[in-house]
Amino acid sequence: MPFRPAFSRCFSWDIRNTVGNIPMEWYKDYPHIGYDLDGKKIFKPIRNKDELDEFLDKMENPDYWRTIHDKMTGTDVCLSDEQVDLVHRLQQGKFGDVNFNEYEPAIDFFSNEVMIHPVTNRPADKRSFIPSLIEKEKVGKLVHAIKMGWIKPRRPKETAPQYYDLWAKEDPNAILGRHKMHIPAPKMRLPGHEESYNPPPEYLLTDEERQVWEQQDPDERKLSFLPQKYLSLRAVPAFSRFIQERFERCLDLYLCPRQRKMRVNVNPEDLIPKLPRPRDLQPFPTLQSLVYHGHSSLIRSISISPSGQWLVSGSDDCTVRFWEVCTTRCLKTMEVGGPVKSVAWNPAPSISLVAVSYGENVILVNPGLGDRLICSATDQLISSYEEPEEVKDQQVQWAVPEGKAQEQGQRLILTHPKAVKQVSWHGRGDYLACVMPDDGSSLQVVIHQVSRRRTQNPFHRNKGAVQCVSFHPSRPYFLVATQRYVRVYNLIKQELTKKLMANCKWISSMAVHPGGDNVICGSYDCRLAWFDLDLSTKPYKVLRHHKKALRGVAYHKHYPLFASGSDDGTVIVCHGMVYNDLLQNPLIVPVKVLKGHIITHDLGVLDVAFHPTQPWVFSSGADGTVRLFT
Amino acid sequence: MSQLQARFFTDNKKYVIDDVPFSIPAVSEITDLSNVINKLLEGKNGDHKHVEFDFLVQGQFLRSSLATHLETENISTEEVVEIEYVEKYTAPQPEECIMHDDWISSVEADSEWILTGSYDKTARIWSLEGKAVATVAGHTDVVKGVAWVKRDGLSSLLLTASLDQTVLLWEWSSERNKLRARHCCRGHAGSVDTISVDPTRSKFCSGSWDKMLKIWSADYSRSEESNRPRKKQKTEQLGPTRTPLMTLSGHTEAVSSVLWMDTEELCSASWDHTIRLWDAETGSQKNMLTGSKVFNCISYSPLCHRLATGSTDRHVRLWDPRSKDGSLVLLSLTSHTGWVTAVRWSPSHEQQLISGSLDNLVKLWDTRSCKAPLYDLAAHEDKVLCADWTDCGLILSGGADNKLYTYRYSACLSDAGA
Repeated sequence: MPFRPAFSRCFSWDIRNTVGNIPMEWYKDYPHIGYDLDGKKIFKPIRNKDELDEFLDKMENPDYWRTIHDKMTGTDVCLSDEQVDLVHRLQQGKFGDVNFNEYEPAIDFFSNEVMIHPVTNRPADKRSFIPSLIEKEKVGKLVHAIKMGWIKPRRPKETAPQYYDLWAKEDPNAILGRHKMHIPAPKMRLPGHEESYNPPPEYLLTDEERQVWEQQDPDERKLSFLPQKYLSLRAVPAFSRFIQERFERCLDLYLCPRQRKMRVNVNPEDLIPKLPRPRDLQPFPTLQSLVYHGHSSLIRSISISPSGQWLVSGSDDCTVRFWEVCTTRCLKTMEVGGPVKSVAWNPAPSISLVAVSYGENVILVNPGLGDRLICSATDQLISSYEEPEEVKDQQVQWAVPEGKAQEQGQRLILTHPKAVKQVSWHGRGDYLACVMPDDGSSLQVVIHQVSRRRTQNPFHRNKGAVQCVSFHPSRPYFLVATQRYVRVYNLIKQELTKKLMANCKWISSMAVHPGGDNVICGSYDCRLAWFDLDLSTKPYKVLRHHKKALRGVAYHKHYPLFASGSDDGTVIVCHGMVYNDLLQNPLIVPVKVLKGHIITHDLGVLDVAFHPTQPWVFSSGADGTVRLFT
Repeated sequence: MSQLQARFFTDNKKYVIDDVPFSIPAVSEITDLSNVINKLLEGKNGDHKHVEFDFLVQGQFLRSSLATHLETENISTEEVVEIEYVEKYTAPQPEECIMHDDWISSVEADSEWILTGSYDKTARIWSLEGKAVATVAGHTDVVKGVAWVKRDGLSSLLLTASLDQTVLLWEWSSERNKLRARHCCRGHAGSVDTISVDPTRSKFCSGSWDKMLKIWSADYSRSEESNRPRKKQKTEQLGPTRTPLMTLSGHTEAVSSVLWMDTEELCSASWDHTIRLWDAETGSQKNMLTGSKVFNCISYSPLCHRLATGSTDRHVRLWDPRSKDGSLVLLSLTSHTGWVTAVRWSPSHEQQLISGSLDNLVKLWDTRSCKAPLYDLAAHEDKVLCADWTDCGLILSGGADNKLYTYRYSACLSDAGA
């Protein structure tokens, strides 16, 4: 702001800079600082005041404090006393003029009093004497509105205080819920002996303890105070931390979490399906009763005679043994030319034949046990075969053994092109199916007809490696289990009827329910799958009770039982009730874990079989024993 | 309860003591009680020798301490406890161990000779002292059952039943030690597991795996033989074939054991979990008792009219054959750990029986002590398959360790007064 030099005492001449209100930095580089009224340049005073000059000036010049640098002219101006006073007044917010009194008494010119000498002497207007037309109109409108009932008289104000129910709209259940959800404030701990004014000496802290207490962080202290002993209650001073303690208590209450965690209150017992107690499902095998010792190597396969009197077992020590079931007596031992993979007793009660597979051979053995008549009839049946006139080329060689083998009871030797893993009889006892697992080959399953010594390959091609096969007990079906699927073929129509998906990696064994509508599959990935053929192609139930791979599964012929043997050395017996009623699903209850076999070379139980008439289960193991559980 | 009141009594006149209640410690066991009685008897007559006693509380043998026994039997200790004491049965004394070549499947002894059937397809006759007398060879398969029929002076008739589906009737003269097969009884279609001769010694019954019971005549007369042509005699080495008098069918599973209860009544036990009583005259089934397990063996005591059975579990069960309502087990004797394969009542004592089991033990039981046997005869090293108890107090047991053990048991003598 340009300073007016009108009252300047120090300047004798009037210099007016005409540049106007501009930043004076613009003239920084010029010798002049602006133009005067006549248009002549105003030159900057020739001087160079450095810091030292400034300082000296500040020290020596008594008027330094009232000296102002005028930017417009570039000169220093010394303020007069009046000017300083004016500055002070302005700074205090007072009027600039010293003589101006802002608090002079006011004169009320226009008052209600009729003065002798009024301010104006005008006569009163006419409208001051007549009623207002506009008001009349306005009043008329209101009167009309009141008459019409548009305006109602104001209600008298109710002076009584008004209350309302804050929770009126809350539904009663919510109230109940609120009451239920009531969370009481946490209780304060009751004072103990250490809070007493005269605590027992063991509560008083020793010096060391006191030092420890003082060094501890207040949060870490066990006690928030120091127990102290006073002679009497009178000597107890006021509690200095009272306010703080109350405050902390309030904080505790206020900050304590008041939300209830919603926990799902489901009784774990309710989640378990209701199953009958195993005790009510008797009879089933519970105890190991007999052990059949004799084999020196692992027993791959066992089979029971249809009468239930004899047991045959085939072992890796290249022998087949025939046992008397009730005494564990080994009645016969037959050596064969290789580790025995599978044995199967002919299920027909009128035929006494056992199929034994080792290597590439399957031999049919007449064990000579049981009824003599049946044994001789079986021999006759086999020897009465007559060569057909036209001999067809067969993939399997049928040969009649001679000499010692014949004496031992061997009646027929069937030589296959590949190693035979499993043999399975048809229920009538004339047909015998053999499995030669070989992935993708067309010759994996052959069916032999014993009476006509004929062999046929039922499949032109097989998908996957066949694991085991089984004849259906009542219908002309043939079940083929590959690694992942079980295919059910109709032998009469020669077509695929069903394909069961086992949902497991590798099927090891299969058994068909004697009723014919259910199949169980054991797999190497510890599962047992129960299929209901009427229900679905997926397992009705999958049991994962074994800890290791399953090796054998079996159904009982009469009792609602099935068993599975596994590498973990156990046999698990389950109750598997199948109802005639199509609407009722099978009832499967695991009832017993049977232990006994010793795990040898990581193998436990290799085969299981049920006694045909009693609720007994046989199991053969890698420890070279067959065990009977009753 | 440290002391309780007890009154001791006995039937044996020799050991009677005063009929006054005594206060005895509740924890006392048999030996303590026995000492008490001995002390009392010594006080009564000075020349008393120490005798071991056994004690019965309400008809049950005391086997634990008195307090625990009373607690388990639920007997009040407030009143005076009546304790009966009898002289302790002496343990059976082992006598002979007769070695065989193979497993012993069956044994029957009479007062002079022992007959055993073996898995080496022969039956053998032994003297009671264990001397081998004769070998009965003729069967083509394992001998499963043997029985003496009768003895006329020095010649005896005996029967052997075998897995080869035949029963052979032999005549044996002990003087010349000559054996001849007199008849071959054919008809069974399965292994013949059991035979039993009727009390009149004129008939016998066989039970087989083919579910049938067959009654045969056990008569043998020389006149029958002479009528036959000589040529036929030669071909039939085992004597002429005999056909059954009667066939009793009804069992649905193998018959495991058969016996005559009297001359008209037959009893058979089977794998179909039933015991059937038959009328031997008409061949009709009279009664049936149903169990829950396969029956292995059965024995009948004419003294107490009870049947004892051994099954494919651990229990020996006692049955009343006259009960009409079927299956009611009177008592279970439990101590075995394997299948019970042989059971035999004492011929002279109505409360004692022996049982043999696959757990290698033969146990001597008293029916008054059903939790623990009187004695364990633990001589066998393998399964016990058969047992017998003769009238003269000889206990025999044979098993899969090829040994036949005999024991002398004299309970009948010392117990005569009891």
